[in-house]
Amino acid sequence: MRSKAKIIIIALVVLAIAVYLIFHFFAEPPPPPVSVPPSVQLLESRLVGRKDGARQWEIWAQSVLQAGESVTLNDMDEIIMFQDDEPYLFIDAQRAVWERKPDILYLHDAVVRDEDETFYLESDLLIWAGSEETLTSPESVFIRWQGLEIDAAEMLLKAQENLLYLKDDVRIRDGSMLWRVESAVYDLDQERMEFFGSLVLEEEVGESE
Amino acid sequence: MNRKIVTLMVVVALLVTSGRFALAQSQVGTLEITGVPTDVAAGRYDREAGVFSADVREIGGALITVKLEDVEITGKTMEWRTDDNYLLFTVDARLTQDDFELTADQVEYFGEDKNLKAEGRVVVTTEDATVYADHLDYDEETDEALFTGNVRVVFSDGVLEGERFLMLLEKSELQFFGSFQGEFTDEENGEQ
Repeated sequence: MRSKAKIIIIALVVLAIAVYLIFHFFAEPPPPPVSVPPSVQLLESRLVGRKDGARQWEIWAQSVLQAGESVTLNDMDEIIMFQDDEPYLFIDAQRAVWERKPDILYLHDAVVRDEDETFYLESDLLIWAGSEETLTSPESVFIRWQGLEIDAAEMLLKAQENLLYLKDDVRIRDGSMLWRVESAVYDLDQERMEFFGSLVLEEEVGESE
Repeated sequence: MNRKIVTLMVVVALLVTSGRFALAQSQVGTLEITGVPTDVAAGRYDREAGVFSADVREIGGALITVKLEDVEITGKTMEWRTDDNYLLFTVDARLTQDDFELTADQVEYFGEDKNLKAEGRVVVTTEDATVYADHLDYDEETDEALFTGNVRVVFSDGVLEGERFLMLLEKSELQFFGSFQGEFTDEENGEQ
């Protein structure tokens, strides 16, 4: 009888810990400094990344696996990135891994869009570094934005400065113009591009007279 | 044959050759900047203003080249306004096409007006002659090339000098304005 009661108490404690984690630890960061079991799997959870209290990103996931400082999310709904606490970018990804301490979010097979779909980005791997507010694609990336179509082997977006760094085998199509450059920096606010290294621009000039 | 007529025929040939200024309006044009280290920004494009600019003056061996059909323009600095198709080359500006070459301190092409201007130390070289002037103004529509300021047309056997020299390419006509003087060598007699 006593052992049965013990089992019930242990089960209740485990359940209570799980409920606590779901509704407090993951639901409303910044996470409280509680001791987390080395490996916990949660279902249908919402994760919110914050910096200085302001929301940076929000993820709904069917499956959340916590292992040490690393949180792996699968079967995700749309990820929402925030700027000034407003939805800024929407991301579909196959898998996400959040390294809590350095606040780095890895997004695998990601497609990023803005609200009115004027911005579209595709990459096999995107890395969001919360402390620096940078979005990196260490692998090839394709971007469609305001009439531009951009391919590059690497990309770095500095969200605070609104600067887009494109590296290696960069191709930028702007209407009839196709830029091929080694690397480029695009000031998204000013709509100015700076091209580094050698450059080739091809342009369809027009109809024959 | 009368030397004057021969001279004029040569000049007409020069004019016909210089009709190659015409920048055709078809095909793919290319702009290349070569010889720039990967950590140096040589070109900038302002999308809002539609202006591309490049400057490679400080980069040894670097060059800006625009190719359109068989016309090639090179220089060390350039500005291209995409909205009205205006092109400006400065510093070692050079336009070539086959055996034709134009060099000047500055070469401008006004795409909307179909007009090409060259300023400062203008030199037009063909197989038959070389024309020196301070300015060149070529109108693609009328097919007229006007050389002004210290104009000097040098042939293998003589020189023509004046202040204003108009080539009416379509009509194969030359017009000399103001005083012009020529100096020719008599090939047969070796006289001047």
